[in-house]
Amino acid sequence: MSELLSYLGIVSLCVCLLVSLAQIKISYLKSNANYINYFNLSLIQFVSCLLSFLILIYIFITSDFNFSLVYQNSHTEKPMIYKLSGSWGNHEGSLLMWILILTIFNFMFALMSKANIRLTEITVGVQSFLILGFLLFLLFTSNPFSLLSEPPNEGLGLNPILQDPFLAIHPPILYLGYVGFSLIFSLAIAGLLLNHIDKNWASIVKKWTLSAWILLTAGIGLGSYWAYNELGWGGYWFWDPVENASLMPWLAGTALIHCVSILEKRNTLQSWTVLLSILTFALSLIGTFLVRSGILNSVHAFASDPTRGLFILAFLLIVLIASLFIFARKGPFLDKEIKYHLLSRETGILVNNWLFLTILFIVFLGTVYPIFTDIVLNENITVGSKYYIFSITPIIFLFIFAMIITPFLNWSTNNYKILIQKIYKPTLLSVILIFSISLYFDKLSITEISLLILSSILIMANLNSNILFKNNSLYLTSNIGRALTHAGFALLIISIIANASYAKEKITQAKVDDKIIVGNYDFIFSSISQKKEKNYHKIIANFEMQQHSGTLKKLSPEIRFYNNPPTITSETSIARMLFKDIYIVMNVPENQEFINVRIHIKPFMNFIWVSILMMMIGGLFSISYRIKNS
Amino acid sequence: MIRKILFYSPLSIIVLLGILFYYSLNSETKSNSPLIGKEIPEFSIERLLNDNDQFTSKDLTSSENINFINVWASWCIPCRAEHNVLELLSKIDNVDLYGINHKDTKKNATNFINTLGNPFREIGFDSDGRTSIEWGVFGVPETFIVHRGKIIYKHIGPIHISELEDTIIPIIKDLN
Repeated sequence: MSELLSYLGIVSLCVCLLVSLAQIKISYLKSNANYINYFNLSLIQFVSCLLSFLILIYIFITSDFNFSLVYQNSHTEKPMIYKLSGSWGNHEGSLLMWILILTIFNFMFALMSKANIRLTEITVGVQSFLILGFLLFLLFTSNPFSLLSEPPNEGLGLNPILQDPFLAIHPPILYLGYVGFSLIFSLAIAGLLLNHIDKNWASIVKKWTLSAWILLTAGIGLGSYWAYNELGWGGYWFWDPVENASLMPWLAGTALIHCVSILEKRNTLQSWTVLLSILTFALSLIGTFLVRSGILNSVHAFASDPTRGLFILAFLLIVLIASLFIFARKGPFLDKEIKYHLLSRETGILVNNWLFLTILFIVFLGTVYPIFTDIVLNENITVGSKYYIFSITPIIFLFIFAMIITPFLNWSTNNYKILIQKIYKPTLLSVILIFSISLYFDKLSITEISLLILSSILIMANLNSNILFKNNSLYLTSNIGRALTHAGFALLIISIIANASYAKEKITQAKVDDKIIVGNYDFIFSSISQKKEKNYHKIIANFEMQQHSGTLKKLSPEIRFYNNPPTITSETSIARMLFKDIYIVMNVPENQEFINVRIHIKPFMNFIWVSILMMMIGGLFSISYRIKNS
Repeated sequence: MIRKILFYSPLSIIVLLGILFYYSLNSETKSNSPLIGKEIPEFSIERLLNDNDQFTSKDLTSSENINFINVWASWCIPCRAEHNVLELLSKIDNVDLYGINHKDTKKNATNFINTLGNPFREIGFDSDGRTSIEWGVFGVPETFIVHRGKIIYKHIGPIHISELEDTIIPIIKDLN
């Protein structure tokens, strides 16, 4: 049975590979109207890949230890959901999932494309080239279906730190985002080859860019939520190189969305839009390379293998050098120059584009420069969060400022009167509001106050002009998507500032009946208990959180001792309130009566998650508006 | 003309990055702790098996040998599993293995050593965990490689026999 499944899995991958070759051939030969066309082929490509992925899931669910991958990453005692997520929680499985998502996007595009047939064929061809490259990578360096000669009785388990429901869905969503941008890349190459970068191209690209952007935002948000809940450091963003690897395509992709709008409305900036499309996907690939090759060390890094790193690097360079070469040859002839006023929406978006790229450059430098010094100077440097915070904050000022005024500017002409009319009320209101708040809370610096004012103007101006009351009922304007996303971003900035300024932390030792005081709260360590679970046993410390001698909440952080592999993890306990989170984590307890506890009070955490949701919902509004109107 | 050259600049940046990444793939040094490459923290703690004088950072800086510092505790189950590997490690030439006993009682720790054997040249008794904090220890076991007073490498969790062969021994060979 196992031999058969292994055989079937590999054969279906080979079918997918052959079909991808056929797609590439069609893209430069032109298909006839017969049944071998790009659509049918992309269907077979998708189905064959799906079959092999289902086999992978099946062998994980049935714990078939004949497969070396299952043996290394699973265990019979593991709960079903983690058996399932274990199938993509490793290098081979996640790579297969990545390919599956590539074929899904390819199939969806072939199904829904309203572009002319040559543009569609070449896009599908380029996408198939990417599929081909990753398939070769999978089959030659990371075969998920390789069998063991003597099947063991029990598997080696999954890293317990990865046993978390959020982590089970975080990689697939993040991949959907990354891979979504592969389609934009393919569209850009196809458009370049056909000299077909125009308004029509932009309106096709815009929808797909928005979808990929929403998924990438969700992926990053989930990753951050996981790190906050699971890692026990009390933070939600660490400027870890792997986090940066997902932030960089997000920054480029967000710049791309804005740039595509200019192309769609004004038919200009062709070469810049194409370059951003290539750049966004390039950063997704570079991110994958940095994470998978083991160049970066972090919680995310899978077991590193130099041949794998070399293969991704070679593939990455082939794809990027080829595409940038095409860009260098065709790019200079794409642009159509138009005239616009200095105080027009075009300028505003361009300014924001440059600010995006500046932030991108800062993040890129912080991530890649340590690799450079390591090789060239043989010196290890660590880039901390201070570097990012201090270099990005000044740009955020300009950034929010441009975000406030740009949507109220006209395309191509200057109409500062409408702008002033739209923003003077929110400005006045925000200045008064924030100044009175800052009198009450004395900790805020001038930088923080001014950022808060700008963010507040951004929220008010957006909501005020896009949610209207007329005749006693509520109207949403067609720009509500953009307004929600921008307001969400402003709320994110506000929450980050509030969180950073008012967070409290205490690290201490405690024994039963001790009282720990943090801020206005007393924490009583009431008891300690033990419990046996299916694949681990745990020690639970019970705390009562009190204010004015009344118990508000019970908190119980845990230490878990997993059997397979033997690992110890700390589980945080978080009391979520509207305006703040109380976060307790304890360290490995000793044979003695003391435990180490860390208590954080984190204000505005909920608002961070809400603001990310708002940005995504805004994106969904924009897509649905486009679909309705097309 | 300038415009055309400008359009080749993304290509050249990618080529340069490709070269950088290629070399970084083959480069060995990888850091996983902010302390890597830094001088070891100064400390002075009681010895577990000998009441006379203190175990200090000078003991580590004075020798030319490669020093391993293993942070362990008798209550830590993975440490028990790791103990065999430490025995092997301590027998390698030019290697001195030191232990820091983390938040333990003298009785339990001494029992542990008496039952399982003592691969350590010296053991510091860090009952309140203060010295471990200076070393940036998050949990036990953790192992540091120190050479000429500098932290070269940090291993988190028990050292598995395969990790000894694949990671630790190559580092020792490199340093020799």
